[in-house]
Amino acid sequence: MGVKEFKLPDVGEGVAEGELVSWLVEPGDTVTEDQAVAEVETDKALVEVPSPYNGTVKELLAEEGEIVPVGDVIITFEVEGEGDEAADEERASAEMEAQESEADERETGDEAVGEGDGEAVAGESAEKSADRKAETPKGRVFAAPSARRLARELNVDIQSVDGSGPGGRVTDADVQTAANGRMDSDVEGSDSGPRETAIGEKKSAVSRRDDGESVDGSAASVEAAGRDRTLAAPATRRMAEEESINIDDVPTDETRDGQAFVTPEAVTQYAQAQREAREAEVQADAEAAEASEAEGASATDATEDGVAERIPYRGVRRTIGQQMEKSLYTAPHVTHHDTTVVDELVDVRAEYKELAAERDVKLTYMPFVMKAIVAGLREHPILNSTLDESDPENAEILVKDEYNIGIAVATDAGLMVPVVKNVDKKSILQLSREVNDLASRARERKVTREEMQGGTFTITNFGAIGGEYATPIINYPETAILGLGGIEKRPVVDGDDVVATETLPLSLSIDHRVIDGADAAAFTNTVMEYLRNPKLLLLE
Amino acid sequence: MVVGDISTGTDVLVIGGGPGGYVAAIRAAQRGLDTTLVEKDDYGGVCLNRGCVPSKALITGADLAHEASHAEEMGIHADPAVDMAQMVDWKDGIVDRLTGGVEKLCKANGVNLVKGTATFKDENSVRVAHGGEGQGSESIEFDSCVVATGSRTIQIPNFDYADDPVIGSKEALDMDSIPERLVVVGAGYIGMELSTVFAKLGTDVTVVEMLDDVLPTYEDDISTVVKRRAKDLGVDFQFGEGASEWRESSDGGITVVTETEDGEESTYPADKVLVAVGRSPVTDTLGLDAIGLEPNERGFLETDDYARTEIDHIFAVGDVAGEPMLAHKAFKEGIVAAEVIAGEPAALDYQAVPAAVFTDPEIATVGMTEAEAEEAGFTPVVGQMPFNASGRAMTTGHTEGFCRLVADEDSGFILGGQIVGPEASELIAEVALAVEMGATLEDVAATIHTHPTLAEVVQEAAENAEGQAIHTLNR
Repeated sequence: MGVKEFKLPDVGEGVAEGELVSWLVEPGDTVTEDQAVAEVETDKALVEVPSPYNGTVKELLAEEGEIVPVGDVIITFEVEGEGDEAADEERASAEMEAQESEADERETGDEAVGEGDGEAVAGESAEKSADRKAETPKGRVFAAPSARRLARELNVDIQSVDGSGPGGRVTDADVQTAANGRMDSDVEGSDSGPRETAIGEKKSAVSRRDDGESVDGSAASVEAAGRDRTLAAPATRRMAEEESINIDDVPTDETRDGQAFVTPEAVTQYAQAQREAREAEVQADAEAAEASEAEGASATDATEDGVAERIPYRGVRRTIGQQMEKSLYTAPHVTHHDTTVVDELVDVRAEYKELAAERDVKLTYMPFVMKAIVAGLREHPILNSTLDESDPENAEILVKDEYNIGIAVATDAGLMVPVVKNVDKKSILQLSREVNDLASRARERKVTREEMQGGTFTITNFGAIGGEYATPIINYPETAILGLGGIEKRPVVDGDDVVATETLPLSLSIDHRVIDGADAAAFTNTVMEYLRNPKLLLLE
Repeated sequence: MVVGDISTGTDVLVIGGGPGGYVAAIRAAQRGLDTTLVEKDDYGGVCLNRGCVPSKALITGADLAHEASHAEEMGIHADPAVDMAQMVDWKDGIVDRLTGGVEKLCKANGVNLVKGTATFKDENSVRVAHGGEGQGSESIEFDSCVVATGSRTIQIPNFDYADDPVIGSKEALDMDSIPERLVVVGAGYIGMELSTVFAKLGTDVTVVEMLDDVLPTYEDDISTVVKRRAKDLGVDFQFGEGASEWRESSDGGITVVTETEDGEESTYPADKVLVAVGRSPVTDTLGLDAIGLEPNERGFLETDDYARTEIDHIFAVGDVAGEPMLAHKAFKEGIVAAEVIAGEPAALDYQAVPAAVFTDPEIATVGMTEAEAEEAGFTPVVGQMPFNASGRAMTTGHTEGFCRLVADEDSGFILGGQIVGPEASELIAEVALAVEMGATLEDVAATIHTHPTLAEVVQEAAENAEGQAIHTLNR
């Protein structure tokens, strides 16, 4: 009787965690293999998790409702019978990384040997391993680091490899042979089929690969052989099926009893050649399309399942995502939109742009907007606040007396928000210089963490890329964020006339728990007033 | 659409910028992982700042001074004056170049550097407190973490490093003048290295050791060579005594009081007392409670062949991950941790870790001793070559010591080697390669070695083990 752990498997494609919705068994229950033991809900589906063992439930290690990462042990079983154990362990560990399972097995040292179908490899390995131990004390294996690495790459337990080098040293070739031999054994052990021949053929396949013929011959081997009848071991047929290959199409020079005989290597080579051919075709198509059209169909159009690329959702991208999620699901967002005429602002900026350039400053609209925002915040301090929920029972609104404005900057690594401190105490030129410096360093990822902290209000300038209105997500725990559209001439009603006038669209998102819509509108009006009459900024 | 005053995210967070940490960070970044390295102090860790490198600088300086003043046999008559402050400046210059180099390498490889002390909040995030009160803190989320917090000097009761006459190895490497009298507590490798340095610089050195010999982890015939040489240099050994306290004395110096197991007290006058009783891993600043990770009874974080702790995505490398506390072991572990995180088939499957002690003469070992080989079930065969039979050793004026190879008699595989003598720290590399490659005695014996070099001793030892030595009598 042994205790077996069961780790939450990857229940869907690439799912990292799941909610354990309900247990279908209790400790002490007898379960059979494939019997559902739990229901797990991922963002994709509600699925039943089957038991990998025949045995008794020992312990449930997760609560209902708990989010469990894939790979965490959720249940333990008491199981009987060695043969079962080995088979079950194999299945259970199928979800785990090969390395990990190998390490576990080495540690526990009680698996691997089994009976029944498909156990030839394990049996053989154990036997060799035992021999090895008898030869070298403490199971020490003499092999160069390069041979050890090769063994890990090929998932070969180096302890089980017979060394052919001086004194029995394990060489690269020994490892390679062991890896190939394992495939042979798989073939041999899987069914009655042409077992002897399968083993016999292995070596010729290896030598072909070593000679490099398979690559050179790929064009030829892509051509389907189109035979009526092909001999192959069941494992080879299964391999072909998995690769979606018709075994009758796999080219081979081998024959058995006058019939064409296909080895696993031949299948692998044919599959590889086909893949390469497909890729080459796709590449050629894409290039042709690109040549003929300005914006041709991309190579991605032909990618399987319509997925062009799988990008891991992690690192900075995930942090941004999590912050967005937290902000949006914590703070009820309301977005207030408005547009202001900025003819004078455009004139003022144009007038002083050259003067600023003489002082090596590239004058943008941003410092003017920042000053206008400070004016707005002074009149409506509630927008210059954060919500301190660190103690949920006694949450507080902290109204700030500093005017530190964060500027969202798009960088290759995602959006960064460097903060310009004490905006109220700086001149337009100072602000311009600082914004330019922070933005360029943010793009180069040279902005320090300190420079991204301490903000009280944030601006996001989506208009720089294009667009009028948007719904900015608040830089939580701040309570407001102003989005700027692009400044351009738009039709404006002036008396009874429609005139083309420079306008700036504004989108202000607020945390409605802290700020009312009326405050938002009043703040926006103040900001717009200053932007309409930039001379007012002199008073700031 | 914004990220601001919030926790930042990283694929790999490395805590500690010593040999384990910076190597892990650079390799992880080389593998395309977004990597952040948090260091509370100086990049390069103990090795570059307070250990291997600065101590070797002073050892070289002391050796040079001593050699110059003891080379009459070669016809050289000199009486060098040692300016300790200048020597320390020179040493600091080397340290600065190296630590600056580490920082530059990290940046050049795209590692994000953060200054502060990291404490786990949970299994996927840490809080980093920036140095000093009111300097603020930040949170960093990670997918994988490499703990490389290293080790610190062990303190003994009544000897507080805050007190001026009490120094540890760090302070010993920063002294701007040479003390006239020095009591060294501990005859391990740090105690022996520094005793030799100061003895060569003219200090009157007394070593106090609880055990009954120096360098207890080495075989007797090795430690005897070093002890004999130290005695020749004027080092006074007091074995079986433990330091119990120190007090100021009337002559402006101090008196170090020792005690035997039977309670018998002795006193030794000194100007400084150097405590070198070992190092302990740093785990107390990590907030391990938050992630449910516990150090073992010796304070180390236990790891598997992939440098993983019990928590799959948290790794530990270097001193904090267990002995031997050696920088090169940390390098290897750092690389393996990073490669495992990157999904590569890396593992800690080395056969042996070489070690070197920079005493006079140097000691260097790798793999098994004869006794260890026997215990492991091998039938060991040993070959030895004394340096006094080496032409090159004679021409350097250093003929003390020997090179020994231990091999398996049946297969000829070299299982280990011990060298005590000139340049042992360099020579051991060949033996380490032999052990790692699974080379046999024949392989080494049949490899042509340059003549006249010290490296010939390795070849000779191999031939000696095979009973085929030419330049020494076969065993």
